[in-house]
Amino acid sequence: MNAFYSLFSAEEFSPLAIVLGMPLLGAFVNGVWGKRLGKEAVKTMALSAMAISFFAALFTFAALNHHVDSSAVEKVVEGHKVVEHEHVKLSWLAWEWMRASGAGGLSAIPIQAKFSVDALSGIMMLVITGIGFLIHLYASNYMETDKGYWRFFAYLNLFVFSMLILVLGDNLPLLFVGWEGVGLCSYLLIGFWYDKLPNAAAGKKAFIANRVGDFGLICAMFLIAHYCGALDWTGIEAGAKSLLSPDMVHVWPFGNAHYDGVFGFLQPKVPLMMTGATAVCACLLLGATGKSAQMPLYVWLPDAMAGPTPVSALIHAATMVTAGIYLICRLNFVFVLAPGVMAVIAGVGAFTALFAATIALVQNDLKKVLAYSTVSQLGFMFLGVGSGSFTAGFFHVLTHAFFKACLFLAAGSVIHAMHARVHDDEKSQDMRMMGGLKKYMPLTYGTFGAATLAIIGFPLTSGFFSKDEILFRSFSNSYQWVDKARAESLKMWMPPAYLGKIYYVMGVLAATLTAFYMCRAFFLTFYGDFKGWKIGKPVAAEGHDEDDHDDHGDDHHHDDLTIPGAAPHESPRPMTIPLIILAALAVFGGLLNPGLAKSLFHLESIPLEHWLEPVFATSMAKGIHEVEHNLSMELMCTAGAFSAFAIGSGLAYWTYIVNNGAPAKQWAAAAPGLHKMLMAKWMVDELYDATAISMVDGLADTFVGADKIVVDGILAQVTSFLAAAFGTAFRAVQNGMVHVYAAAMVVGVAGFSWFFAMPHAEGMIVDKGNGDFIVAAAPGFGYEYKFDDAQKFGATSEKPVHLDLPAADKSDKAKATAPVTKNVVLTVKNVFGIQDTKTFVLVRTPAKDKQMIGQN
Amino acid sequence: MNLFFALSPFLTLALGALLLMVAEAAAAGNGRGEKVRPGLALGAALTCFASCAAAAGVWFYGVERIEGLDVLQPWLIIDRFTLFFAGLLALGGGLASLLAGGYLPEHQIERGEFYALLLFSTLGALILAAAGDVLTLFLGLETMSLGVYALTAFRRASPRSAEAALKYFLLGSFAAALLLFGFALLYGATGHTDLAGLGQAVKTIASGALSGQAAGPTTLGAAAGPLVLFGFILVLAGLVFKVSAVPFHMWTPDAYEGAPTPATSFMAVAVKAGAFAVLLRVLLVCFGDKQSTSWANGWPAVIAWIAVLTMTVANLVAGRQESAKRMLAYSSIAHAGYLLVGVVATSRDGTAGTSGILFYLLGYTVATIGAFGGLILAGHRGAEAVSFEDLAGLGRRHPAAALPFALFLLSLAGVPPTAGFFGKWFILKAAMEGGFSVLTVVAFLNSVLGAYYYLKVLVYLYMREPGAGAPIATPMKSGYVNVALAVSAFFVVLIGLDPSRSLSVATRAAASLFGG
Amino acid sequence: MFATYGPMFLLLTVAALIALLFYTGATVLGPKNPTPDKMKPYECGSESSGGNHLKLSVKFYLTAILFVVFDIEAVFIYPWAVHFKTLGWTGLISMFSFLAVVIVALVYCVKKGALEWEK
Repeated sequence: MNAFYSLFSAEEFSPLAIVLGMPLLGAFVNGVWGKRLGKEAVKTMALSAMAISFFAALFTFAALNHHVDSSAVEKVVEGHKVVEHEHVKLSWLAWEWMRASGAGGLSAIPIQAKFSVDALSGIMMLVITGIGFLIHLYASNYMETDKGYWRFFAYLNLFVFSMLILVLGDNLPLLFVGWEGVGLCSYLLIGFWYDKLPNAAAGKKAFIANRVGDFGLICAMFLIAHYCGALDWTGIEAGAKSLLSPDMVHVWPFGNAHYDGVFGFLQPKVPLMMTGATAVCACLLLGATGKSAQMPLYVWLPDAMAGPTPVSALIHAATMVTAGIYLICRLNFVFVLAPGVMAVIAGVGAFTALFAATIALVQNDLKKVLAYSTVSQLGFMFLGVGSGSFTAGFFHVLTHAFFKACLFLAAGSVIHAMHARVHDDEKSQDMRMMGGLKKYMPLTYGTFGAATLAIIGFPLTSGFFSKDEILFRSFSNSYQWVDKARAESLKMWMPPAYLGKIYYVMGVLAATLTAFYMCRAFFLTFYGDFKGWKIGKPVAAEGHDEDDHDDHGDDHHHDDLTIPGAAPHESPRPMTIPLIILAALAVFGGLLNPGLAKSLFHLESIPLEHWLEPVFATSMAKGIHEVEHNLSMELMCTAGAFSAFAIGSGLAYWTYIVNNGAPAKQWAAAAPGLHKMLMAKWMVDELYDATAISMVDGLADTFVGADKIVVDGILAQVTSFLAAAFGTAFRAVQNGMVHVYAAAMVVGVAGFSWFFAMPHAEGMIVDKGNGDFIVAAAPGFGYEYKFDDAQKFGATSEKPVHLDLPAADKSDKAKATAPVTKNVVLTVKNVFGIQDTKTFVLVRTPAKDKQMIGQN
Repeated sequence: MNLFFALSPFLTLALGALLLMVAEAAAAGNGRGEKVRPGLALGAALTCFASCAAAAGVWFYGVERIEGLDVLQPWLIIDRFTLFFAGLLALGGGLASLLAGGYLPEHQIERGEFYALLLFSTLGALILAAAGDVLTLFLGLETMSLGVYALTAFRRASPRSAEAALKYFLLGSFAAALLLFGFALLYGATGHTDLAGLGQAVKTIASGALSGQAAGPTTLGAAAGPLVLFGFILVLAGLVFKVSAVPFHMWTPDAYEGAPTPATSFMAVAVKAGAFAVLLRVLLVCFGDKQSTSWANGWPAVIAWIAVLTMTVANLVAGRQESAKRMLAYSSIAHAGYLLVGVVATSRDGTAGTSGILFYLLGYTVATIGAFGGLILAGHRGAEAVSFEDLAGLGRRHPAAALPFALFLLSLAGVPPTAGFFGKWFILKAAMEGGFSVLTVVAFLNSVLGAYYYLKVLVYLYMREPGAGAPIATPMKSGYVNVALAVSAFFVVLIGLDPSRSLSVATRAAASLFGG
Repeated sequence: MFATYGPMFLLLTVAALIALLFYTGATVLGPKNPTPDKMKPYECGSESSGGNHLKLSVKFYLTAILFVVFDIEAVFIYPWAVHFKTLGWTGLISMFSFLAVVIVALVYCVKKGALEWEK
């Protein structure tokens, strides 16, 4: 087996081509011929593409593991045996795209289509292809009756391809290609049912919010190229130290103008400077908040639920939205150089987690609850990476991929069942119409329940371990930089040390709310009585098979919910199998990185942390300063996390099971203002409408007004007159008459002749310093040259001149600094004997000992 | 045998052309013309692609390794520069014959001569690119031109076509006469007809070393200077006529519009590429000396002015056209302007400038053929798509026909990551690094101006619907055209995604011009 | 410069002057006495028939141009024949390739019916 892995060297690891190529092939085949191929073929193509890609990814991962193992070195550190790994990377260079010129005299930066997989991207690759395959399988059934079946799978495969480019790209430009690619696919899939207006609007919203983020990413790319002189990961890491060079980024004010008026405060005397690292990280953060739906750019994600549910599961829960966290982890060595930005990341994360959780409390749409929950969980991930624990943040990415994909798919299963009767997108997702589904959909119930346990942090599930780790790290990190002296000298802003406590409290609050709203959603959906419609034939709960879809077609106009209908029924196998697998992963995935167990049982290493160690090791040592912590502190933090789970879920049980939802109504009545705000999602959309969007609109109106007067009224008149004049003049020439055409050619020849018959005395002054100049005449065909005093023309086209300074007279400063000038007259004669003359003025300014060159 | 191998791109074309000509005539004589005709396009395309493959074969075998090529000196120069153009021209010819294979039957003007003429023209262009002597140069030029004159007149029933051909012929003859007279003067002054010898002699004369002397390459002595200059002026005029630069461009819109579209595409691609090959060779080999390449007094200044005029006039006028075909004609003039910017850049860094031009020509060839192909595909019998209105809404109704069209237009406009973007990038980069910053800025502004009318087509394709009562274009169906579009699209995307490989090929070809 | 080209320009000027002189001289000095018969187109003394824009069949031109094309080959063959021995095999092969091409052209003309007067 080892020999098998060694077939491909680490530098030429071509199996990556299969991982990447299969989804692209699937997208291409389905996109081009999908309409003609028919559903079966489309399904086969899409699923086999994903399966092959997944197996290639598995092989890649195994090979990576093999290479890691063979690089292992045993060391003895402080009496313990420690196995250390190198940061192993398997890469594959497809081709070199181009070379960009680096600024500041740097050598050309190659931009290569090069893909690489290391510990970090390896896991992402497995998640994307693995969960991607499961969701494809699920969707092959879920989308069965959609007329855009082929289009859907083409987009979905294209998405997987783009996401793989994002993750596997070995440099920032390639990541950006993937970044834009997933954005595009997300846009296409959100607006998949584009004939409905809100869906198209949601797609646009996602696109625009992401564009704001992309702007940050592009800026960061330029800054990195400028500072590090490289754009690939290895190169950036090697050049990262120059991000702290004294050459800082001048942020405000623009330019160097000083102005002391009313608005003088806009022009501070001391300009606002940032280190390169801070500027880069701030830009990257903007990019990450856009893609990962954080404050203030999160608004697109809830609306993105307009897309089909498998899309929500794959793109807007498991993979694409975690790209921002992936980016931060990828460039961890850059982020640790900017502790201030790290604290901001953690803050944004904590605030988003709490904020989104409050909105999720009152949502009635099942998918909307999950959407806000995703935003909230992404906030947790930001909190994790912002606290400097990249492993914890990334671990949450992984567990979240499991349980949130499972939740979305299970929700999709519920919606599928509801939709079979209701045929109304809103009603079939409304939890108030559900209830009691436990009885009709046992598998969905079980898997949804398992995933819910994971997300609310039921002890020993995956969510418990990952969230616990994040909360603990956010508490124990000081957000200070290790090298305080260096930070001092760079005037770097240091966040206060108590931040960790605040973040921890916010995190625990968010976790409590999470437990509450997730249990609420779970109870409302699966417990109590079914409220959707009257159940006519209870037998329909069993014996569901393919025939149901035919019934489905017949049911189409029975939307009057007072008429009894068949009971909602469990989804078919292609939909339930992914659910079961994902639920299992959601429950047991925590074993990959049980941080608590490590401390409790003094384990030497836990799998994920050990696996990712080489990726983060150096930056962790250099950048993150943790306060002293011990087991008791960790247990205390865990206690906080556990109580969050207990209080939240207990309260939900009491509210929705014991009292059947009555307390919720009382609370809403008790604080109507708050409830209204929550229902209105804190009116953030309205805020954006009132500020940014109305500002843009206002600006647009102003411009439209100006356009009408200035552009239409004046400019258009002038330009149309000019264009007409030009056109008329030109048409007069381009009149189809051959002799006119020939005349134009004659004019051209005459122009040539004139140019060559007339000599042009041109030249330049070469300043060699210290008063030595050379006047070099531009050579010409058969020219002869004569410099001022010469008697005859000669073939020499250059004349050296030396300008002496006046004799040193230190008493007379004015004289000593007066410039010395000299005129040189050049005369040239061409082969026709015609002459031309030009005077060059040589100037030597002794004061600055700088020679200025002028001509007249 | 070596000789045959080295000349295989030429021989393939010549033999293929003769065979096609006779085969069609023989079949027509036996009354089986109808049966043979559909195969002619395929035959012509295969001949061209075989020639292209032969050029590639010689390239990869290594033309330096082939011995015995001295026999061809100085008439034909077989180096990597020639081979690059052989491949490029043959590719252009092959794609144009594929377009013809769809267009001519659709519009019922298919006669076998078209393909033979096309092949002979291509052969002429190849000879032109390989010419190392004034005589072969002129031979190649006329072989190419005569074929193209006939192709322009190919729609015999159309007075427009005949008029265009006559104009083209008259002005072309005029230009050829200028060229010939120029060469005669050069010969008179230097006693050379081979380009290399001419270059040596010009170098001596240009340096002014002969001033006051009574002897030199000929007995003219110092008086050779004016003769060489006038010869150069006339030669330059003759050559820039072929690349259709302002003010020698006026035949172009009429000829391009009058000719059947496949012939137009061939003219825009192969004639232009061949003309640039010979322009580069003449300028850099014969007039590559320090004096002639002076930024103030030599040809770079003249070419720079022509380039500025060409780009600006062509782009301004192209924006005002009603007809998409005529717009593409002006667009090809504008591209000649960008290419001339590259020619200016060669005066500083020959290899960088030349490789930029070669790369540009590669991208330009496939994109232009593709754009004309898209125009062909958009129309059908009796309703050829000509104006912008004809294209309205095509993107909705026939996405498969509109999409490649859009791709080629984006490439012509220079939108990344298509081939056109990198072509402009390399040329502008060479010009910038050569210190021609004003020229670079003008070229850049012009490419912005150019984007306007390309995007206008896209607007019609995707955002307009045909007006009420207006004829609705239905695309024709032709495997030949589809193949040509697919091949072109493949290259446009490939070159855009992987420009470094094509650039290294172009650089090797360019370096061989400078003995590298 | 004028030392070299002077005579040439002089020649050109004299030629132009003489031409001008003859033309103006004939116009100014010659008596004018137009009669209808004198104004008729001159056709070698015979009575003129038809208009002066006589349309000739394109076949005349076709035949003429074919004659020229195939006649020109003699221009190539004649010097080759003179230097037959010195040119040797190379010359022979070159000439036969050339002739082969000409024959292909001839075959083409025949097959296309360019040599048939009536079709």
